[in-house]
Amino acid sequence: MNEREPGTVEEITGKYVHVDVNGTTQRVYFEEAGPEDGIPLLCQHTAGCNNQEWRHLLADEEITDEYRVIAYDLPFHGKSVPPTGQEWWEEDYTLTADRFAATIVAIADALELEDPIYMGSSMGGNITLELADWHPDRFRALIGLECGAYSPGFYIDWLDDPHVNTTEVNAYACWGLMAKQSPEQTRRETMYLYEQGATGVFKGDLYYYSVDHDYREKLGDIDATECPLYVVNGEYDYLTTPEDGKEVAEGVGDGCVSVEIADIGHFPMSENPVLFNAYLKEILADITGERSGRLPEVLTPDDVGVELNRTEARAVRREAEEAE
Amino acid sequence: MTEAELASHEWWEQYKETVNSDPEMQVRGHDRFDENFYVQLDDERFLVAMDDGKVSEVIPNPGLNQEWSFGVEGGRGAWEEFVREVPPAFNHEIIASNYRTQVKGESGHLQLTGNNRQIFQNLRPFQRALDLMRHTHNNGGNL
Repeated sequence: MNEREPGTVEEITGKYVHVDVNGTTQRVYFEEAGPEDGIPLLCQHTAGCNNQEWRHLLADEEITDEYRVIAYDLPFHGKSVPPTGQEWWEEDYTLTADRFAATIVAIADALELEDPIYMGSSMGGNITLELADWHPDRFRALIGLECGAYSPGFYIDWLDDPHVNTTEVNAYACWGLMAKQSPEQTRRETMYLYEQGATGVFKGDLYYYSVDHDYREKLGDIDATECPLYVVNGEYDYLTTPEDGKEVAEGVGDGCVSVEIADIGHFPMSENPVLFNAYLKEILADITGERSGRLPEVLTPDDVGVELNRTEARAVRREAEEAE
Repeated sequence: MTEAELASHEWWEQYKETVNSDPEMQVRGHDRFDENFYVQLDDERFLVAMDDGKVSEVIPNPGLNQEWSFGVEGGRGAWEEFVREVPPAFNHEIIASNYRTQVKGESGHLQLTGNNRQIFQNLRPFQRALDLMRHTHNNGGNL
């Protein structure tokens, strides 16, 4: 991402919308870019983080020419402060599948979005399964980035332990979720965003991510024929691998497609925005019918015309293939 | 790329220089990283003694006279992947590699051992110290 000329004012605007979630009013911050009558693309950040993860998507004019990109902060994250009507400090923040899905639908309703495409990563990717199961009529399509039926083992007590520097640890526990060939500048920015989360919020989100979300026996309940579901997992995502994405697609069946995105990890939109935005354009073109032919099982930087630290990256892929 | 074989005496000497001249090991409190840790490749164990964010010495085959808080164990093959300039998926960072071992029960990856509290109390400088093995091995490379 190049630095802009001094005086450049980005087209992104930020506002607050008041949203009723299960009887509680939440003041939700969102940023948007793109035409008011564009196809709404509603974007959910990862656990413990905030909508700044989407800043490069919001600034991609090739996308915002056609899409109204909206990226919000889930309550308790970023600029969406906790509800003023609750003594929230007396209990641990804990996100459940019910609460998470209800919040997303309530935000879409409050913004009066017609046939939005929903897209989220990590916990925002996993929730596409609940949305596909419970609210298929509310969305035009669902894009689950880094999505799996089950993602155990990350509900870690040390993430809100008083003896641990959780500001730094909540970020760098995720350092290896990104591909080393993603630019260091954007990987470091992703960590910087993670360092902004309030105490206990990351862990509270991970309750949903690693405990409450379990679709291993329920994928057959999802009917994706009306609302297509795209499961898009990065090669370097060790929590929800491309193989896990394939299992979701096989379990759901018709209407669900899995795509591996090569040379990228679990925070694709912020760890390597240039590569991710190029990959996303392929997915969006498939949703709108502008793409001819089926999406490939694996999208590579070559496929989308992006050069990165390629020589070594290719070598990694070749050796992996030879090992199979 | 360094001419020295991974974990040879010459390699560890270069590693020591790499860590001790790394700016990130001296900021945001990392200069108080004082926990000794070990690195084990197959049956070969090396104690990396830390003092104020710097490696004071690397001791092969540590015994009763040494102490440490935590360590990382794995086959030489897993370590050789870990230190590659662009490491392959899942052996590209310690938490990633440990997850595939501990949670997914896969072989061919690295495993954390020792006191988990101390691991998380020192996570970033410890992780950085391990990533600097890659830097040492390639005279640069992706951290």
